[in-house]
Amino acid sequence: MTAYTVQMEQLPGLFAAWSAQCQVHVPVALETGFYDFSPWRPGTEIAFEYDVAYNPLKRFFMPPREDMIVFDLETYTAKPVFAAPSILLFGVHPYDVKAVTQLDQLMESGSVDQNYFSRRDAAVIFAMTPLAVSDTAFWASVGADKVDQGFDLYWTKIGPGTFHVEIGSGRGEELLLAAGPLAPATAGSREAARKAQVRAKTLGASRSLRFDWRETPHVMGRSWNSSLWHRKAEKCLGCGSCNIVCPTCYCFDIREEVDEKLKAGHRFREWDGCMLNGFALVAGNHNFRPQASERYRHRYMRKGKYIFDKIGELGCVGCGRCVRACTSKIADPCEIFNALWEESRNEI
Amino acid sequence: MKSRTFSPYVPRPATLVSKSPLSDLVTLYEFVQDNGKNLAHKPGQFIMVSIYGVGEAPFSISSAPIKESNVFEIAVRKIGAVTKALSELPVGTKVGIRGPFGTSFPVHEFVGKDTLLVAGGLGYIPIRSLLHYQLRHRQEFGRISVLIGTRTPKDRIFTDQIEALAKGGDVEVLETVDMPDADWKGNVGVITTLLPKARVEPQNTHVAMIGPPVMYKFVLRQCREMGIASDRIWVSLERRMKCGLGKCGHCQINSLNACMDGPVFRYTDIERLEEAI
Repeated sequence: MTAYTVQMEQLPGLFAAWSAQCQVHVPVALETGFYDFSPWRPGTEIAFEYDVAYNPLKRFFMPPREDMIVFDLETYTAKPVFAAPSILLFGVHPYDVKAVTQLDQLMESGSVDQNYFSRRDAAVIFAMTPLAVSDTAFWASVGADKVDQGFDLYWTKIGPGTFHVEIGSGRGEELLLAAGPLAPATAGSREAARKAQVRAKTLGASRSLRFDWRETPHVMGRSWNSSLWHRKAEKCLGCGSCNIVCPTCYCFDIREEVDEKLKAGHRFREWDGCMLNGFALVAGNHNFRPQASERYRHRYMRKGKYIFDKIGELGCVGCGRCVRACTSKIADPCEIFNALWEESRNEI
Repeated sequence: MKSRTFSPYVPRPATLVSKSPLSDLVTLYEFVQDNGKNLAHKPGQFIMVSIYGVGEAPFSISSAPIKESNVFEIAVRKIGAVTKALSELPVGTKVGIRGPFGTSFPVHEFVGKDTLLVAGGLGYIPIRSLLHYQLRHRQEFGRISVLIGTRTPKDRIFTDQIEALAKGGDVEVLETVDMPDADWKGNVGVITTLLPKARVEPQNTHVAMIGPPVMYKFVLRQCREMGIASDRIWVSLERRMKCGLGKCGHCQINSLNACMDGPVFRYTDIERLEEAI
């Protein structure tokens, strides 16, 4: 793979060149130990050492609320709405890249989600090897410590002011060289990057699944009637926070609004959550998942089995955001998968 | 970068050409697409109907696919925002249509076989699409038995058509109500009280059933006891489809989406899914 070495002092020039072409988002510390992606401006301090961004990156490709059509009540016609803002996400951790490539697959299968890909195709992703790990994360144990696709560039900090940058796409290379030629990577810098990636994996292994993540669908297949669902869901407030912060949750509701003259309006999709009471409600007030435990189980079945059965990947990338977001402290996939594995491991 | 022009979320305009009440709350609506094209649906499929400013909701198509006619029908109970708005639309008004969506009853598999159609409550609406298709190609099918159950006599829909059908003798029609009124002279009881009365040859019968969620397991058990093989039973499972495209997650039944993998399922394909029946 083509790679270059980039020095810290070359970054301002690169960011200036990139931000002339697109909106650049970088990880920043909002408060001590609290990070999120934020638009880059000259002088923005990039939090290279961030552990996890509070919000998932799905919002860039499927915003919390997004217009799908605009309609005219007088002519009774409708037109599609497509947004394609040029964005560059700098410093995306591998597990978040993995979440995006997973969404890519799910949005492409069956009926291609045109709105998603309109945004996705206009986005550039620069991945970055993590330097720190959130205490709720377990991505190293679900194969999400490193990705080999889904990025345009892959940055690894190999010294106090030095980066090793692997090329993932032509567009990535073009952007990397936008401010002038760079030094090609040396054998030494490649080795340093490899070591940094191993270090990330070691760091990330502080919390782990106790079994091979590929076993998860089998574990889930044995766990439909587990009492764990009731024990945990007893405390569930049904707030949907775990859905909202999850980088791979993408369920949505479709609603609409009209203007005050009742002449025109817009129909939009809005993030929804399977943990909310009304999610499986149908006309006549029949609820297909009336119990909190059923909703709770559905979410983990989806992460551990349904998504896996579809695309061969775990529907959880181990980012640990849900663990932090849950007020009741019941939304820990690592703990849940481990407990279900433990209680069913002797079953065939 | 390619610019996009097509969105499966854009409804096509259609015009309401007629409406007629079927019961206190259920109305039959007939539409024609403004593009002049046939809807080209298959029995068992559904469409999304939009009333701009109110919303969009899924409805089973009740008419049979007919090449020579562009009119298609849905029958709708007034129960929520979209259905209430629909009930207030005068003839000649436009609505938006997306679809048809989803799987259909495999009529080619039914050819030469007997068919048992089980319709609980509003389940008769989509069953009617299949039944009317079969009636239009009557010689291709063996015996057709239709079991219809409603809560009360007042909830019966398409009563004239069903009575004519029963009198015609071409199709075996058995009806029941859960709660009779003073005038009801027919069978009383849930729909499973009809099955033993139907003249069904289990070895040669294909079953199609649609009804309220509670209905399926009892009818399925009865079919099994009668010796009808599970792979010859088709169920239509309705959920709250919102996108119709397998994305929004609302109609999920375990790992399947009712909007694309269904609504019509071969029973053996969903038998092991805990959330199906």
